[in-house]
Amino acid sequence: MKPSRRSLFQFAGGAVAGALFTPAPWRLITDTALWSENWPGIPRPRRGEIRAKFTHCALCTAGCAVRARCVGEQPVSLAGVSGGLCPFGLAAHHLPYHPARLKQGSASEAAAEVARHGTQGIALLDLNPGRTASWAYRRTMQAINGTYLAEPEPFAVDLRGVKTLLSFGVPVLDGWGNPANVFAARGSFHLIQVEPIESSTGVLADEWIPVAPGHESVISQAILRSLQQGNPSGLARQLVDNGPSAVLGDLPEIPEINRLLGAYGKIVVARPEAPVPESWKKSAASVTRLADLPDNSVRVLLIDEASAVDYIPWHRIARKLVRENPLVVTFTATRGGYARYANHAIPAAVYPEILDDIAPPNDRIAASFRLSVPLVTPPAGMANLAEFAGALAGVQASNSLRERVGEIHRLGQGTLLTYADGKETPLRDLPGDDFWRALNAGGEWVGEPSRTDPPSLQPAPVPSAESTGDLPLVAIAQPHNPPGSPIMTKLYQESNLRLAPNRIALSPADARAAGVRNGGRAVLQTRLGKCGVEVTVDPAVPEGSVRVGASPGIQDVCGPAARAKVVSA
Amino acid sequence: MSFRGTIVFLAGVLAALGAGWAGFPRVINQTRTQPAAFNHQVHADKAASKCDDCHSFRGDGSFTGIPTLDKCAACHAAPLGATAAEKDFIEHYVTPQREPEWMVYARQPENVYFSHTTHVNRGHLKCERCHGNHGTTAALRPYQQDRISGYSRDIWGGGGRPAMTMDGCVACHRQEHREYSCLDCHK
Repeated sequence: MKPSRRSLFQFAGGAVAGALFTPAPWRLITDTALWSENWPGIPRPRRGEIRAKFTHCALCTAGCAVRARCVGEQPVSLAGVSGGLCPFGLAAHHLPYHPARLKQGSASEAAAEVARHGTQGIALLDLNPGRTASWAYRRTMQAINGTYLAEPEPFAVDLRGVKTLLSFGVPVLDGWGNPANVFAARGSFHLIQVEPIESSTGVLADEWIPVAPGHESVISQAILRSLQQGNPSGLARQLVDNGPSAVLGDLPEIPEINRLLGAYGKIVVARPEAPVPESWKKSAASVTRLADLPDNSVRVLLIDEASAVDYIPWHRIARKLVRENPLVVTFTATRGGYARYANHAIPAAVYPEILDDIAPPNDRIAASFRLSVPLVTPPAGMANLAEFAGALAGVQASNSLRERVGEIHRLGQGTLLTYADGKETPLRDLPGDDFWRALNAGGEWVGEPSRTDPPSLQPAPVPSAESTGDLPLVAIAQPHNPPGSPIMTKLYQESNLRLAPNRIALSPADARAAGVRNGGRAVLQTRLGKCGVEVTVDPAVPEGSVRVGASPGIQDVCGPAARAKVVSA
Repeated sequence: MSFRGTIVFLAGVLAALGAGWAGFPRVINQTRTQPAAFNHQVHADKAASKCDDCHSFRGDGSFTGIPTLDKCAACHAAPLGATAAEKDFIEHYVTPQREPEWMVYARQPENVYFSHTTHVNRGHLKCERCHGNHGTTAALRPYQQDRISGYSRDIWGGGGRPAMTMDGCVACHRQEHREYSCLDCHK
């Protein structure tokens, strides 16, 4: 019988059906996936001699010591020395390869446009103040009569000296300080966490006190009154009876509470800085806070966003720019942030590509000097704001780190810690070149503990709460997150450790009222604008509030006393 | 469908089943010969070797893996027995000082980091847990290499050995209530 076309199709159909019950198609799918891992062009981790390099993490002022496991010159894994390194730091060696990395932008075009605008009304916003580069910026601004803008954090807290710590929403145990230092001191203090939503710090604190969102001041004002009247009760009593005590937070009453508790000069001290050449101090512009700058006074704004440890909502910056034709140039590693608003976004190197020092930490009372030693070479075309700005003013910035190290060595105080061999060496026993080499090999200089009273800072003006009107929810902001490796999406999406930057969290009742569901998309609206977000429904969020992620887009529309509305997208 | 059509269809099914189960493994895997006919059993019995005599940890905790020629040559500089396998090994590798290119049954992708010291010294896992009775065999298993992916057929497990795919690793971690996250294995 001659096979017909129909029978051929019937046979083929049977073969296809039968093949599904064999390993063949499934194995082919898997094998193809495995084969695709080895296509040309896919980066492969190097194989070769394993070396250890030491550096310091530059993602925040904690500046944790890092031991990098390298194959040749390629870091393949990072680990904290003495156990301290947060999840962001652990995966920081991925940052040079981040898909959102900014790779194009012409520094020469920006320089030409700055030259056309002239330097009158020029300002430089430093989002990681306290570094040697910050001094270069201050010297440059002084030379051209510009303004150096930063949000100073002049306090340091001696966690080992405190017995009771009251925190108003400060993430003490989750990103505030150096993890190794904080947890080494943890056993010595009683932590009381006051916040609207129980954070990771709240879960681990000794006491968690829930407070209605936006009403933290009620508690701080009550404590202050109680202390001023000399008859402390409640929390104030606890602080007085179980001292030494200190209070952390942004509320305007806190500095006076700390002064009355006797914390100033003992627990809360002026954040000590490593020595700086006297010539720098004499030729540096003073630090100006953004809030103290007159509105519409900046014609040219340079922003150092490359190693930012904080994000200032754009509307606070925009109001300081002149109305007519301002020029904004930002030096950044990503396309998010201020690159969305700037006239020029110039690509800059990231940690761990550049040699930079770490700003003084907030949880140590001894001055320290640490270098973030580069582990990889930055791609071609990266620009450096210190050199860019220095060129405007004729200030040579490229040798600043060496000069500063020279000054530290000249004073001959303190100790050098080297992690490779675990030694502490008095600085006076080291020649200058050896000191510089040791710092470049990941060592750390530590000065003597300092207990200077912190400067009295005029509290930042508290914005008045907006009227509720048609914005029924109080926005509760998340702490700033350092830049994260793409692999850190697990931290956001598959756990509740952190709220993803582009997410908001609502109570079930508020989500129902807004017509949004868990995992759905919505629009967050405030007086300042609106922003597309993704929604998490979380029973831990109090009704009448919305927890907002820390993405620049969300922070741009949410101020510190923001009220918001959520609508379905 | 007519009776004849059903028969033809079923014939197709049977043909695919036969090809898929019997023919496909032969086609997808190519058998390759190890450089030498190594006998684990004789080394364990006569030389009283244990696994870690040749597959050991260095002072810094790294794992030596398959030993290099100098480990073998330390004993086999001259023949210790009368087997053809040993004679061939000495003639082709020891004498010309040529490193044998062993094919690793458990070879993992480039993007995977596996730490023997964590599993053996901290996790107290025995070698047999993952490698089965490999250390007591008289002859090495035939090395069957997948023509498409390039990996050994052995990563899929079987014969008393667990799979050494990602699923296999995760399953064991879950079973032992151990942590598992991306960064543990993918640096």
